[in-house]
Amino acid sequence: MLNNLLYIDPGSGSYLVQVIAAAVLGVAFYFKTFVAWVKSFFGGKKNVSDKEEKINE
Amino acid sequence: MEKRTFLTKKRKSMNNLKKHPSSFRDPSGFVFEYEGKLYRQVNKHYADDYDLLLSSGLYDELLKGGKLIAHQALQQNLTGSNDWYVTLLPEQIQFISYPYEWCFDQLKDAALLTLDILQISLKHGMVLKDATPFNVQFVNGKPIFIDTLSFEKYNDAEPWVAYRQFIECFIVPLVLSSYKSTDFIRQLQLNPDGLPTSFAAKLLPFKSRFRLSLFLHIFLPSNISTRKKNASSARHTSFSKQKMLNIVDDLQSLIRTLKPRRLYSVWNNYYEETILSNDYLQAKSILVTKWLNELQGNIAIDIGTNTGAFAVDASRRYKNVIAVDTDELCIDELYKKCKTGRRENILPLWVDITNPTPAIGWANVERAGFISRLNADLVMALAVIHHLVIGSNIRMKQVVDIFKHITNLLLIEFVPEEDPKVAEMLERRADIFDEYNQQHFETSFSEEFNILKKEVIKSSSRVIYLMQKK
Repeated sequence: MLNNLLYIDPGSGSYLVQVIAAAVLGVAFYFKTFVAWVKSFFGGKKNVSDKEEKINE
Repeated sequence: MEKRTFLTKKRKSMNNLKKHPSSFRDPSGFVFEYEGKLYRQVNKHYADDYDLLLSSGLYDELLKGGKLIAHQALQQNLTGSNDWYVTLLPEQIQFISYPYEWCFDQLKDAALLTLDILQISLKHGMVLKDATPFNVQFVNGKPIFIDTLSFEKYNDAEPWVAYRQFIECFIVPLVLSSYKSTDFIRQLQLNPDGLPTSFAAKLLPFKSRFRLSLFLHIFLPSNISTRKKNASSARHTSFSKQKMLNIVDDLQSLIRTLKPRRLYSVWNNYYEETILSNDYLQAKSILVTKWLNELQGNIAIDIGTNTGAFAVDASRRYKNVIAVDTDELCIDELYKKCKTGRRENILPLWVDITNPTPAIGWANVERAGFISRLNADLVMALAVIHHLVIGSNIRMKQVVDIFKHITNLLLIEFVPEEDPKVAEMLERRADIFDEYNQQHFETSFSEEFNILKKEVIKSSSRVIYLMQKK
């Protein structure tokens, strides 16, 4: 257990950050999949991964 | 009687054995030097995790991908310690470099490697318990993870234990290098345990808050760490592997999109914009190649390598070439060139030879200085001497002393006072003129070196020397 404590801050701030980040990213992921689904439903063959890269940039 | 023999044996072995000064933070084991080789002891404390690393297939998969350093397990307690579980003899690394000597793309590749290893570990039921760039080294042009004891059994109810360390050691310097200046890589020398997110939050432009990944990994933590009281409730919230993978995925895409920002670069167009003629460069290249063809060895270092034209020549004859320059852009270009151009045995490093990396860390010995890590068979100092003596006011004798200290063979170019470049430098430096001439150069170096060869480079007044230490 000792080594677990070495890199974690005493207030376990990084626990909370990861909990929040994971929740936000989860929602963002569903949103992206939903958008991709809508696009493929209406727009036919659009390359989803290319679009995603552009959004990230 | 028996006991005494045991004691003498133990003392004898401890005498030849030196614990590595940087290996004390992790109770799982430590690195020590024995008969010129580096070994790693695994302590009993870490036995279960070490066994799992092997039995889960994680070690094999990482080894196959060239991501983790290979080792040989020895059932020999070399340290005589009661805590001993197994001794590892890892593949020996020729030259240890530190993150603050890397260029942007080296740090970026090291970060991506760490996340890649974390993903593979999760697949095998393990997790990285630490994530510092000091666990990565460059071998054969590629980053490789060297800390075999960084893995532990994964508990999917827990978030990533090394998350904060990863953010502070990789993400913050990379993001600051991307938004502000690559000079922030060097900040790791002052903060080897990482740059706090609050530091980055204050320096980053306002608009960067609206980038989701930066908000989550920099602005959010910086805000939470200043309000620690709210955080303890998070311990009770359970986590999952998918959540962790989402975070890793987001970090990866953030890192991939980061591009270096450089405020200045003096040297990268040296060969294109140089006042030096093409004939000179060609003649120099032919001469250097010809001389190098008669040499060979383990480690060569090219000082002031620029974009590495001569380091490439040396890499054909020397097993390892360390190419250093003061310009981060040059080093970055050379790194990328070596990565794609099959010049894997060149290690480009962002080091200023007039102010080499100091020793840092606990007791000033944890991370060694650049010069004390060097033990070269050959030093190449081509078109460098005038920058040292005229540009940085280093006395000729001091230059001789440092080269004598780090190498046996020296390939050095003297740029005489009538050379247009030197004439330009000397214009306002009449005071240094007495010291800077070929006669003084030769007498100074002859005190410590034998001049084996000497030749004037065609279409210039510059002279190349091959010297051997007396």
